[in-house]
Amino acid sequence: MSSHTTNNNTLSLSTFACAWCGLTVSAHAADGAARNHCPSCLHSRHVLDHVEGGPSDCEGRMSPIAIAVLRTGDWMLIHRCVRCDELTSNAVCTDDNQLILMRMAVRPLAQPPFPLEAFGTL
Amino acid sequence: MSRNNRSTRGGRRPQRHKDVLHTHGGHRANDFRCTSCRLDVSLDAPGTAHRNHCPHCLASLHVDRKIPGDRDADCRGRMEALGLSVRPDGEWMIIHQCVSCGELSANRIAGDDNPLALVRLALRPLADPKAAGRVLLTL
Repeated sequence: MSSHTTNNNTLSLSTFACAWCGLTVSAHAADGAARNHCPSCLHSRHVLDHVEGGPSDCEGRMSPIAIAVLRTGDWMLIHRCVRCDELTSNAVCTDDNQLILMRMAVRPLAQPPFPLEAFGTL
Repeated sequence: MSRNNRSTRGGRRPQRHKDVLHTHGGHRANDFRCTSCRLDVSLDAPGTAHRNHCPHCLASLHVDRKIPGDRDADCRGRMEALGLSVRPDGEWMIIHQCVSCGELSANRIAGDDNPLALVRLALRPLADPKAAGRVLLTL
């Protein structure tokens, strides 16, 4: 699918290339939500300044570091820019790589800083 | 009566010299009070030189802007623990989110942080059966 349109009735399809794995990703998910990270490797690009709100001049790659949970139970993906250490949170799309999501969710329990055996008696 | 006495004396009564300093080098210079659970926290923490969150409830205060320790933020809002991240060397980081402005920050955990609060935070993505179950079913 290319981005050029043949007539006025077809939607123009905007795509971007993933900064980490190079996958060509459509900018909108199947349900119409705007997509800002690669569904395959979950990496993003730092194009929006979180503090000022405008476009950012960093353009660095943002790697996924954590899963956060909203009060509604939905998962959010925390990204960190590898150039300027800025943190952003993005909603998880339905076609995101579930293996990487689950790996990030259980990652703290795989390397606990204290023994977890004591919690079995609580 | 007393008001008349004060006005005839003129100006304010000289105050006694304060030899107890509550801030700026006094006995509470290295302490802070948690904005969430009101616990008095000492800055001397095992395992880290920069304590920035309460060891009991893991809440923090939005005082830094870009660089840790710059005290440049005007927000001063309460920051609540949102999630846990793990560094490549296996160290846990708490992701804080400011309640009033939504800014995110990442902090290392300290040696005396409440383990129960940390494990509850680590289990938060897996505790909800809806999201975690959907992920496991699509694997």
